[in-house]
Amino acid sequence: MDDMAEQLTERLASDLDDGFTELVRVHASAVRAFLFRVSGSAAEADDLGQDTFLRAYSALQTYSPERRRKLKPRAWLMTIAANVWRNHVRTSVRHPVSATRAEDACDTWVDESPGPEERAATSADRTVLVKALTELPEKHRVAVVMRHVIGMSYSDMAEAQGCPVGTVKAQVSRGIGTLREILTPEAAVLGEVTR
Amino acid sequence: MNYRNDEEERPAEGQLEHALADLAAPAPADFALRVLQRVGISRDRYDTYSHLDSAAGGLFVAYSPDAVTGSAVDTMVTDADEFERLHHARTGRTAIRASAPFPGLRPALRTGRAKRLPIDLGGLTDLECAVLHAVRSIPSGQLRPITWLAREASLPSATGPIVEALAKNPVPMLIPCHRVTYEGGMPCDAAYAERVGDALRSAEGIDMHRLEELTLRGAVFLGSDTTRIYCHPTCAHARRITRPHQVPFRTAGAARQAGYRACKSCRPATV
Repeated sequence: MDDMAEQLTERLASDLDDGFTELVRVHASAVRAFLFRVSGSAAEADDLGQDTFLRAYSALQTYSPERRRKLKPRAWLMTIAANVWRNHVRTSVRHPVSATRAEDACDTWVDESPGPEERAATSADRTVLVKALTELPEKHRVAVVMRHVIGMSYSDMAEAQGCPVGTVKAQVSRGIGTLREILTPEAAVLGEVTR
Repeated sequence: MNYRNDEEERPAEGQLEHALADLAAPAPADFALRVLQRVGISRDRYDTYSHLDSAAGGLFVAYSPDAVTGSAVDTMVTDADEFERLHHARTGRTAIRASAPFPGLRPALRTGRAKRLPIDLGGLTDLECAVLHAVRSIPSGQLRPITWLAREASLPSATGPIVEALAKNPVPMLIPCHRVTYEGGMPCDAAYAERVGDALRSAEGIDMHRLEELTLRGAVFLGSDTTRIYCHPTCAHARRITRPHQVPFRTAGAARQAGYRACKSCRPATV
């Protein structure tokens, strides 16, 4: 794996376009899985995933070969993905789609329930968990998804989030705690009582 | 009380984490490709590949915009990731998953006629290319010995270099190496395991039992006493000869001496 990562950064340093195709091949599904679980929507994950790589490419163009060689691709991409998602959330909060605009009239027809892809990816017992995940506060959600869905190490996460390892650990642990509370309210109450 | 409660909670903790790990859904087949198109990477900087079904099982096929550049039967690789890695190791090009296969690939697989499919054999020597081109001219459902390949490709008939060239076949199934045999009629599966070759041959309806039986009878070639023409036993014309009219020959010379001429379709000797 380390060997592969080294090969990838080496290719990025020597030939950007070639290295970038490899970057997309290796990391596209992790980036998309992250955005899918954080946003809870397949279509949004597709769009934001493309934005993430577009931003990554324009950033790489400005980097020197040495800087590209030293890159930790996964943590770096996750930083971008998390930022892209945060920006997206912020803009959609500030510019809510108004139902009165004529060209948005079709929006009233949009079915908010999970589409076929979401349903296939979240069969019966998963649905509850996916829903619980979207109820987490933003920071905890990002941390839980990075740690447990994507399987990143705490140090990589700390680098991606730009904060100390302890902070990340706390976010994950609080996120998991909240998830457990949402999933089994009775158990949480019991736990509080006995603790 | 307190202690027992903790014990009960622990397995649940593992479950929750497992359930979260299961949520890592794979991206749709075209996602990486769409990303590259959106970013505007030129199409000739990478190959795409798709996974197709064929009579002999699944097949990974990678292609550039103009030609097929590599393939692997499902049983030759453990998963798509290994195919991608092997493809890069061999060609130096990244293979990106796509859902639309190379034009003409599906019919080629369905009919077994892949002769006209453009295949890129870059990176191979002239001799290897010549051998693999000769292999492509073996019709579906038929077998040819190595000496036949040497003659068709106008190469010296030494077996060693030809088998080495066959072993380098980068496009199994589409360049039908499974249709090549040694002189004795034993299949020469140089590029993959024998069971892969067996699966490919039986999918094309090649009856290896009948051929073994013929070899036991000493029939390297099969002649017809009505037409006085001799063929390779798997040639479409040889398969039509009814049993009472079959005349087995060990060598082309023996057939010639008996007054038979070589078939012009399967060319058992220079016609």
